[in-house]
Amino acid sequence: MLKTQKQKDILFDSFIYVALFIIMLTMLYPFYYVLIASFNKGTDTLLGGVYLWPRNVTLENYKIFLADTKWLSAFIVTVARTVLGTLLGLLLTSLVAYALSHRDLLFSKTYFTIIIFAMYFSGGLIPYYVVLRSIGLLNSFAVYIVPSMLNTFFLLIAISFFREIPGELKESAHMDGAGELVIFFKIILPVSTPVLATMALFMGVGQWNSWLDSAYFVQSDSLRTLTFRMMEVINQSNAPMDSLAVANRPTSGVTSFSLQVTSMVVSIVPIICVYPFLQKYFVHGIMLGSVKG
Amino acid sequence: MEINTQYSTLPASKAGKRTSLWKRFKKQKVLHLFVGLGMIFLLIFSYTPMFGILMAFKDYTISDGIKGIFTSEWVGFKYFDEFIHDYQFGNIVRNTLVLSFLKVIFAFPAPILLAIMLNEVKNRGFKRFVQTISYLPHFISWVVVVGVSYAFLSADVGMINRALMELGLIDKPLNVLTSPNYFWGFAVGSAIWKEMGWWTIIFLAAITGINPSLYEAAEMDGAGRLARIRHITFPGMKGTIVVVLVLTIGSILGGGLVGSNFEQAYLFGNSINNPTSEIVQTYAFKVGLSDGRFSYAAAIDLIQSVISVILIFSSNYIAKRVSGSSLF
Repeated sequence: MLKTQKQKDILFDSFIYVALFIIMLTMLYPFYYVLIASFNKGTDTLLGGVYLWPRNVTLENYKIFLADTKWLSAFIVTVARTVLGTLLGLLLTSLVAYALSHRDLLFSKTYFTIIIFAMYFSGGLIPYYVVLRSIGLLNSFAVYIVPSMLNTFFLLIAISFFREIPGELKESAHMDGAGELVIFFKIILPVSTPVLATMALFMGVGQWNSWLDSAYFVQSDSLRTLTFRMMEVINQSNAPMDSLAVANRPTSGVTSFSLQVTSMVVSIVPIICVYPFLQKYFVHGIMLGSVKG
Repeated sequence: MEINTQYSTLPASKAGKRTSLWKRFKKQKVLHLFVGLGMIFLLIFSYTPMFGILMAFKDYTISDGIKGIFTSEWVGFKYFDEFIHDYQFGNIVRNTLVLSFLKVIFAFPAPILLAIMLNEVKNRGFKRFVQTISYLPHFISWVVVVGVSYAFLSADVGMINRALMELGLIDKPLNVLTSPNYFWGFAVGSAIWKEMGWWTIIFLAAITGINPSLYEAAEMDGAGRLARIRHITFPGMKGTIVVVLVLTIGSILGGGLVGSNFEQAYLFGNSINNPTSEIVQTYAFKVGLSDGRFSYAAAIDLIQSVISVILIFSSNYIAKRVSGSSLF
């Protein structure tokens, strides 16, 4: 009796381990394949059969990629919007959250109603576009930064986090004559690393991945982002055969496909680099906001 | 999401009754300045667009700017009528609904299953590793997902097509990306791939909340592992499952929790798979921003928002009646 139970357990465990292993492989292999394809000679990849490692190792794809000023400028714009957008977003969202975390704040019920209504209802993209156009944000770098400075979802998460900070911390600072700005920067922010890290990660990733605003709110070529450029290349290579791109650069062996995978690696690597460090924070941070009951 | 009720029932502070309102306000003026900054942002970027919905009932032209929303001429339901009689109307509505319901049926249970499986793993290192890998795709842009899909599935350079042909399993490449027949399956599959691991976080947290002594008691009573999953783990997750399901159904037209329908349909859509890939959102988008027909696009957008609101309230009502747990 006991033995059969054990055998059943072993069967059960092996099923789960095999299933999880397959899931893991499905998640991981596409990234790996893109990586090896970016280090393989473009014309060689098109022959097929590159599965486990680069067959014809080359840095040519990266050389061509970095030599292209379009990509370089897109990269710079993307880094700039990610850094600036995240910093300013963190600043405004947490500043407003700090004020709203005061339980005795007058009119706080009104403020919360306004915020929650804005979370659930929106005017849709078309009126939003009209607003951006009217206040002159279209076709400017600011369109990447300003509209996303206040994030209502993280506002609520930050408020509930700030409320858990013991009130004595603030009170003693008040006694010493510190103003609200001093308390915010010197006391609240330093003890709020988990929530700040969570917000930074999501705002940063959102900024980094964003393509819609670059495609529709901006016309100037010098303001295009990495994801937008990637979309351009993917759309191009979806239509005509790759032989076209090969024909244009007969000697290099770089194809539009190999350029495409290279741009994907450039876009994915920064995310993979930051997220293991922030992982412990965001799991906690997301729970703070979602399942409270 | 119980935030809603929690904040609206703040107790009035006792001190407030003694000092006058103005004095208290003056004392808090810096704080109100901070909040005011936030309110200005909401006013500009959330509330002004809400007024913009008016343009769906008007003949709005973009050259009128923001004032045009109020000054342009009323046309009533002209644009709603036009959409209903649009020759693409049937197709678009069908695609929107089919895509959403397929996702609820297939993409919604995936993270629940993954969470249950992960919970059965004793080796903490392995569990953590699988988890870390599984939510990685969530952080990758849909544009990259399109690129990856192209690398694997396209008819000319797609690795899977190449491999299948080499193995002799197919004799000509499958046009997964440029054929209307595959779009729905492909969209659901890519949504599962991208978001499954992410939503597992919430379900795993729900499992963590289950009292361990329940498992011990069940084991004493001779319940096997499957029986324990069925009678303890699954019921323990039920509340969370219902809340996530309500949220999913509410945002069903937008794609919501199981992946963005818009980004998928827009980025994967092309002229060939258009008969199955065009959805309400992408159509409104193209009509509005590419063709410049703002009032028409706003009307289409509005229809979708209204249906979404109806869906979230009715699914919430049904969830409350059926299981006792609900979102609000």
